[in-house]
Amino acid sequence: MKVNREMKRLYVGGLSQNISEADLQNQFSRFGEVLDVEIITRKDDQGNPQKVFAYINISVAEADLKKCMSVLNKTKWKGGTLQIQLAKENFLHRLAQEREEAKAKKEKSTTGNTNLLEKIGGVDFHMKAVPGTEVPGHKNWVVSKFGRVLPILHLKNQHKRNVIKYDPSKYCHNLKKIGEDFTNTIPISSLTWELEGGNDPMSKKRRGEFSDFHGPPKKVIKVQKDESSIGSLAMSTRPRRVIERPPLTQQQAAEKRTCDSITPSKSSPVPVSETQKLKNLPFKTSSLETAKKRNSISDDDIDSEDELRMMIAKEENLQRTTQPSINESENDPFEVVRDDFKSGIHKLHSLIGLGIKNNVSCHDSDDDIMRNDTEYDSGDTDEIIAMKKNVAKVKNSTEFSQMEKSTKKISLKNRENCELSDHCIKLQRKSNVESALGHGLKSLNCKSPSNSSSSEDADSASELADSEGDEDYNAMMKNCLRVNLTLADLEQLAGSDLKVPNGDTESDGPETTTQCKFDRGSKSPKAPTCLRRGRQCIHPEEIVASLFEGEENTCGKQKPKENNLKPKFQAFKGVGCLYEKESMKKSLKDNVASSNINKDQNSMKHEDLSIIPMEDGSPYVNGSSGELTPCQHAKKANGPNYIQPQKRQTTFESQDRKAVSPSSSENRSTNPISRPLEGKKSLSLSAKTHNIGFDKDSCHSTTKTEASEEERSDSSSLTSLKKSPKVSSKDTREIKTDFSLSVSNSSDLSAKGKHAEDNKKRLAALEARQKAKEAQKQLVHNALAKLDGHPEDKPTHIIFGSDSECETEETSTQEQSHPGEERVKESVGKTSGKLFDSSDDEESDSEDDSNRFKIKPQFEGRAGQKLMDLQSHFGTDDRFRMDSRFLESDSEEEQEEVNEKKTAEEEELAEEKKKALNVVQSVLQINLSNSTNKGSAAAKKFKDIIHYDPTKQDHATYERKRDDKPKESKAKRKKKREEAEKLPEVSKEMYYNIAMDLKEIFQTTKYTSEKEEDTPWNEDCGKEKPEEIQDPAALTSGAEQPSGFTFSFFDSDSKDIKEETYRVETVKPGKIVWQEDPRFQDSSSEEEDVTEETDHRKSSPGEAPLLEKETTRFFFFSKNDERLQVGSDLFWRGVGSNISRNSWEARTTNLRMDCRKKHKDAKRKMKPK
Amino acid sequence: MRPLTEEETRVMFEKIAKYIGENLQLLVDRPDGTYCFRLHNDRVYYMSEKIMKLAANISGDKLVSLGTCFGKFTKTHKFRLHVTALDYLAPYAKYKVWIKPGAEQSFLYGNHVLKSGLGRITENTSQYQGVVVYSMADIPLGFGVAAKSTQDCRKVDPMAIVVFHQADVGEYVRHEETLT
Repeated sequence: MKVNREMKRLYVGGLSQNISEADLQNQFSRFGEVLDVEIITRKDDQGNPQKVFAYINISVAEADLKKCMSVLNKTKWKGGTLQIQLAKENFLHRLAQEREEAKAKKEKSTTGNTNLLEKIGGVDFHMKAVPGTEVPGHKNWVVSKFGRVLPILHLKNQHKRNVIKYDPSKYCHNLKKIGEDFTNTIPISSLTWELEGGNDPMSKKRRGEFSDFHGPPKKVIKVQKDESSIGSLAMSTRPRRVIERPPLTQQQAAEKRTCDSITPSKSSPVPVSETQKLKNLPFKTSSLETAKKRNSISDDDIDSEDELRMMIAKEENLQRTTQPSINESENDPFEVVRDDFKSGIHKLHSLIGLGIKNNVSCHDSDDDIMRNDTEYDSGDTDEIIAMKKNVAKVKNSTEFSQMEKSTKKISLKNRENCELSDHCIKLQRKSNVESALGHGLKSLNCKSPSNSSSSEDADSASELADSEGDEDYNAMMKNCLRVNLTLADLEQLAGSDLKVPNGDTESDGPETTTQCKFDRGSKSPKAPTCLRRGRQCIHPEEIVASLFEGEENTCGKQKPKENNLKPKFQAFKGVGCLYEKESMKKSLKDNVASSNINKDQNSMKHEDLSIIPMEDGSPYVNGSSGELTPCQHAKKANGPNYIQPQKRQTTFESQDRKAVSPSSSENRSTNPISRPLEGKKSLSLSAKTHNIGFDKDSCHSTTKTEASEEERSDSSSLTSLKKSPKVSSKDTREIKTDFSLSVSNSSDLSAKGKHAEDNKKRLAALEARQKAKEAQKQLVHNALAKLDGHPEDKPTHIIFGSDSECETEETSTQEQSHPGEERVKESVGKTSGKLFDSSDDEESDSEDDSNRFKIKPQFEGRAGQKLMDLQSHFGTDDRFRMDSRFLESDSEEEQEEVNEKKTAEEEELAEEKKKALNVVQSVLQINLSNSTNKGSAAAKKFKDIIHYDPTKQDHATYERKRDDKPKESKAKRKKKREEAEKLPEVSKEMYYNIAMDLKEIFQTTKYTSEKEEDTPWNEDCGKEKPEEIQDPAALTSGAEQPSGFTFSFFDSDSKDIKEETYRVETVKPGKIVWQEDPRFQDSSSEEEDVTEETDHRKSSPGEAPLLEKETTRFFFFSKNDERLQVGSDLFWRGVGSNISRNSWEARTTNLRMDCRKKHKDAKRKMKPK
Repeated sequence: MRPLTEEETRVMFEKIAKYIGENLQLLVDRPDGTYCFRLHNDRVYYMSEKIMKLAANISGDKLVSLGTCFGKFTKTHKFRLHVTALDYLAPYAKYKVWIKPGAEQSFLYGNHVLKSGLGRITENTSQYQGVVVYSMADIPLGFGVAAKSTQDCRKVDPMAIVVFHQADVGEYVRHEETLT
């Protein structure tokens, strides 16, 4: 069963939120062994869990898995529907697996190939490897394209002494792989001719016999290689240099050295990969390969860096090398672009050797950085650095000033790099660079490496941050191998190339006594490595323990990681830890030494802490090594300096918790605190590391982080934020000056000077901007003021011009013309001013518009016309504006003259026309008279038909006439209409009179007797008769009705009314008529009643007045008016009234008949008419 | 620049009358203003009174042209119409000839109008009657003289000349320098 079990990763979805790993484990444990449960909850923005799922690593048999899926899939469990799927393996596992596989493969390939080659004798010379990889165990045999193993040829140029290397892996692009088709091939035995093989190794190799190739190629290449093969890689590189140096001039040597330095970088990747495979075997091979490559490169690279780069680029075998080349290309522009790029370029060009070196180192560092991703290359970088250091030492010893310059350049580069990398990294770099500067006088060699290392560190740090864990792993794994390589190389290099400066630097440190010369030599390379990481402390410590060198590399790697995690100070701690770790790895002695060193350092730190934060660093360094102190100082100083620009560029604000620049003093305080803490930590860490081991290093870093979180924050804030840098940097600088050498001071000063210059420039730029702004403001102000002033002027103009019409015109014209000019002028000024002006202009324009179509008084008349013409002729230009001055005073005479002239001309034209017409007539042979008549008529017509020109004053008359006439006619029509409609008005009058009468009547009723009432009544009747012929009814009933209304109301009954009118006359005395009229009318208004009442009153005048007096009066009748009571009697008169009623009816019928008869008669009479 | 003499006027009018007949007096007696003919450099210009007054300020030797040139008097004191007068004459033309699109180009190159190119013609056109030539799209193209009467045109063979060419719009291009 177990055999069938496989590790499966299951995805379990649809879990409820409150599920636990134990639950899952229990649930799935029945199907297999649950190795790991990982519950993942997805949360939305508010943090509410949306989705819960889990990954379960389970070792389960296939059947069980199926069972599990079938049983549990889509089942409800604890409030969720399970969804089980096979998941991809955890990427970490996969990664590990892949790596393992890769390792296994490589081992296989290498071992297998070697085995094959050695045992079978090269039958299989098709290697599946990247073209360019050397055949392990065989010098100068390289895997070329298509996997064929071919020898590297070294061709001697007869004339030039040059040895040209032909690497088939590079030049075999023309080769094609021919597919093996043996169907038609003739067996070799049957060939007609044989190759004369011979027994020489080349021929044998051609045949594929690799058995005996070992010896000759190596020797052919170089003697140096033999040495290298004997010794370590470092040895191989060394001798070369030694050999090369003598013949070459300094520059050439420098170039070559640069080449060398580059070469190691190339070679570096190979060993790394090999280290991955097997530790022991790869070393040799790698050493060989590297040696070969170096040789080849050195051979190929004749002169310039560019060529070197090209070569590097060509080498496709080493991807890393290609990367560096890219990095180089990238870096170059950066350098140029950055601050003080002119000077930087200048320096670079002027100091070709140094600059190149620096560049190379930088490039290498970049390459290293690229490699740092995997961290395998640290060892290589160390080597490179060592190489560089050697070169640098040689040159540096002679050229200090150049070194300083280069360091400056480097610092510039570092700045650029800083932008890209984290601040901490930047700081470290800077510190490194500065430290290099500080040391520069002492050991210039260290500078270039330090720079490179710093840049590398930065990059590595950034990269490390990405995958710290993996890197740590790798670093741990690799450290041993790398350390060995690098250490050996470094030691050898140092031993051979030991230089005075290095020794000086070391001698500065108190512990130098313990260190050996080798240590010193190793220190110089180490120092750079240390510099990379920014933890110089480590370096001295490492130096102290020569054995630790290899460890240092690892430490360096680890340190950058730690640096990423922590600020510089933390880095120091990390270094200590690393040392400790290394010591653990190596012999106890080493450990003791390192521990001692650490202790010393710690003690030193503690002591120094009391002094000053900056000093703390320095003492610490001092305790460890003299070099460290200056380096640290330099670092600190540089760090702040660089940080400042970085701050400007990048946003440190987020990180600046503590830190506002003013809080520099606080920072200082924090610094000292952090440092002591660090020292303590380092001690504790060292102890821990001793106890734990490699893996714990990372833990230590974490633990450190815990313990030193506060410190970290402080230090990080300090480092990253660099609050302290500004202020504290100065302080630190000062401190440094005190502690460190005068050289370091000078470097610091130079840095400061640069800073100051930069600051000055910026300030100047700011001032210039401010000035420009102010100038603009002033301009605006002026423009506005002018604008404000203008309107004032304008009114004056207008006022001035208002005296005379002509002048007003001029002013108006001026205004019109002016605005344009003003606009133009103001356009230069500000918009606001424009707006004002424009508004004014617009107003004036609007006025102008309104006036535009009016004939201005000045332009009226002939003179006016002339003036207008003049003005129009000369356009709007002010200078040519034609004022009234241009008009002669005797305009009238002129007019007359003009008129005369015109008339004369007209006459002439008329005559002409006549003549022409005559001719026409003659031509057309039309009747002359007719034509003449026609012509005259036409002329008359022409004159009569006036071409109406609104602008001409003369034509105004026509306008008026036309306008008046129609008005008059309208008025007339209106009058006519009114006259026609006057009738209703008449009726109104009638009505009014009646109302008046009624009032009188009421008054009379009140105060007068019956007689008096009668008289008014009569009077009324009398008045009514003449006036109101048409409606008598209106008089009585419609007293209050509007006349018009009554008219319309009675129109239908006009006949009756007419009849009634007659009646009125006839029946005047009778009241009945009046009573009946309202009935006829059928008007239901109260007024009628009232009228009736009035009538009744009239009928019974005697009673009403008395009663009325007593009762309170309303408008027409009073409350409880007796008239109303009596009125009922009027309508119904009882029995006695019936008689009269009958008689009335009879009479009415008669009357009606009479009326109709009369009406008919009248109609008849009308019809005949 | 001077007014035309009576003789010149007569000659010119006779010429113009051939094209527009009685409508001539509409040119002389315009309701919209006073227009007149002026002679300048043997050319007759038709212009409004205003322009004439304006032009009076310019010396004769500097004056190139004014108004619209109607034509010029030849050395033999005959009047020759220019195409520039077309704009004034075309609206009043009594007798018109429309030519086919295919013959337009021929006419505009200064050729006579053949019967084959004759698209339409005013009836009662007498022989040697001045005609205004139109394209079939009623675009005036120039002047001509009817070589045949309308009646004759019907009988004549297609290649016979129907209208003699006198002036055409193509002269604006061909005689650009002389058309002022």
